[in-house]
Amino acid sequence: MRINQLKKKKILVIDDDELHLYTTRELLQDEDCEVISHKSNYGIGVTNLVRELQPDLILLDINMPGISGEQLAKLLRWRNTPFVFYSSNDEDSLRESALRHGAKGYICKGNIVELKNIVKKYLAKSTFDDMTISV
Amino acid sequence: MPTQDITSNTIPVGELVTSVEQVSPNFSVNSVADKFFCTTDLDAVAVIDDESMPVGLVTRTKLLFSLFRRYGFELYGKHTIITLAEKNPLIIPKDKHINDVIDMALERPPQDIYDEIIVTNDDGTYRGLLSVKQLVIQQSNALAKSILQKEIASARAQELEKISQVKSQFLANVTHELRSPVNAILGLAELLRMAAEKNSMEQIKERLSFMITSATNLRTIITNILDLSKIEAGKMTVVSQPCNVTELVCEIAETARILVGKKAVSIVVTAPVEPIIIATDHIKLRQIITNLVTNAAKFTEAGAITMAIGINNGSLEIAVHDTGIGIKEEHLEKLFTAFGQIEDAKTKQYQGTGLGLTISKNLAELIEGTITVTSTFGKGSTFTLFLPSQVHERRGVLNHAD
Repeated sequence: MRINQLKKKKILVIDDDELHLYTTRELLQDEDCEVISHKSNYGIGVTNLVRELQPDLILLDINMPGISGEQLAKLLRWRNTPFVFYSSNDEDSLRESALRHGAKGYICKGNIVELKNIVKKYLAKSTFDDMTISV
Repeated sequence: MPTQDITSNTIPVGELVTSVEQVSPNFSVNSVADKFFCTTDLDAVAVIDDESMPVGLVTRTKLLFSLFRRYGFELYGKHTIITLAEKNPLIIPKDKHINDVIDMALERPPQDIYDEIIVTNDDGTYRGLLSVKQLVIQQSNALAKSILQKEIASARAQELEKISQVKSQFLANVTHELRSPVNAILGLAELLRMAAEKNSMEQIKERLSFMITSATNLRTIITNILDLSKIEAGKMTVVSQPCNVTELVCEIAETARILVGKKAVSIVVTAPVEPIIIATDHIKLRQIITNLVTNAAKFTEAGAITMAIGINNGSLEIAVHDTGIGIKEEHLEKLFTAFGQIEDAKTKQYQGTGLGLTISKNLAELIEGTITVTSTFGKGSTFTLFLPSQVHERRGVLNHAD
């Protein structure tokens, strides 16, 4: 756990669109973190991936073939991994329902400032809270 | 949705009058009794004074009940009818509504319930009689009608609801399909700025090409949406002119080769040696085949996309066969409706908008053709465009070798 703390933080991006994965990865390249992108294929293997990687934050697309981000959120909720929805849509209703789905927030894909701010916020957070849970 | 109950409450009873029989108050009981004896279907007469005002009611049952008693005729026969008449019959103006009248009629004492009701004109003069039986029949008819109308209205409301649901679903999907490339372009623009700051020409080139792809996608979606609304508004015009289908298909095959890129998919064109030339709108034909081939390229990871042209039973067939993911049988019928393949915008079953196929189907209809699809899930699909080709002519010159 302590070693983990010294490592770079990990951000997992889940999307079905490779271009969005590329854009997000590149946009976050200057942040002090490791960005892992995962192209969702009907949600196969996502829970395993999250268990293996133990990312510090997940950016989760909503509109995906086979399984939506909101459905994936149900699977991720109990893993104590914070996730935010990261979608192209920008409706208030989605922002509101994000919290109900256990997300820590909602970022619209075109809003780069918001993306960077939320990621920065999570990178600044100590892992202390997470450690107390896992110890 | 509130439905208006228009029938049962709005029938004025004036229109339902069943008889206009009347006698003067001075008639003898005997003469009125004769009237009842002679007219077997006469149930009641109104007693009307010289000024046409109703003053009483005589019903067959009650009159004959009095007269048939022992000495009845002797006792009452020579009296004026007014002495035996019901002096306070139910009198109602003609504009009263049927439901109110029935309520009033049934509120009468039990022995009077079935008495006829006198209907008057606006000035209070006699208009006619109304039988309670008739009233009840009318009311139940009206009720049945109104139930039917309600059912029709609610079916219509459901239909409208469905249309509006489809529309808002369409809008939600369109919004997403439009936002997605816009946001990608925004992200790429920011990345370009970052690359420019670093003076990384390589990154700039890469990102620019991504940006062009995104913008092209966006243009395709916008064009599709506009095309679809044009088709729906009936504003698409057809210009028919000779078109070399073989050449056209070969050209589209070239674009398909670019589309499949590095995937292990071969593009095959099979066509008769002699080029097939038909009179049609070549722009629309190109759009249809391009759509079908683009779909095939999108959903095929390995194998082949075969475009087969042929004349069969006097119609031109262009079949686009792929070895892609295929379509489940239950999804086949929804295939040609805009966004029909997406039950829930958040879990799209397939990528893309489905606009392409809807447009293709509509375009095919515009040029008097049809599109059919057969598919085996997991194995591949075949989309076939049939075009009437009475107008086709084969040219004996081989001007395209493939």
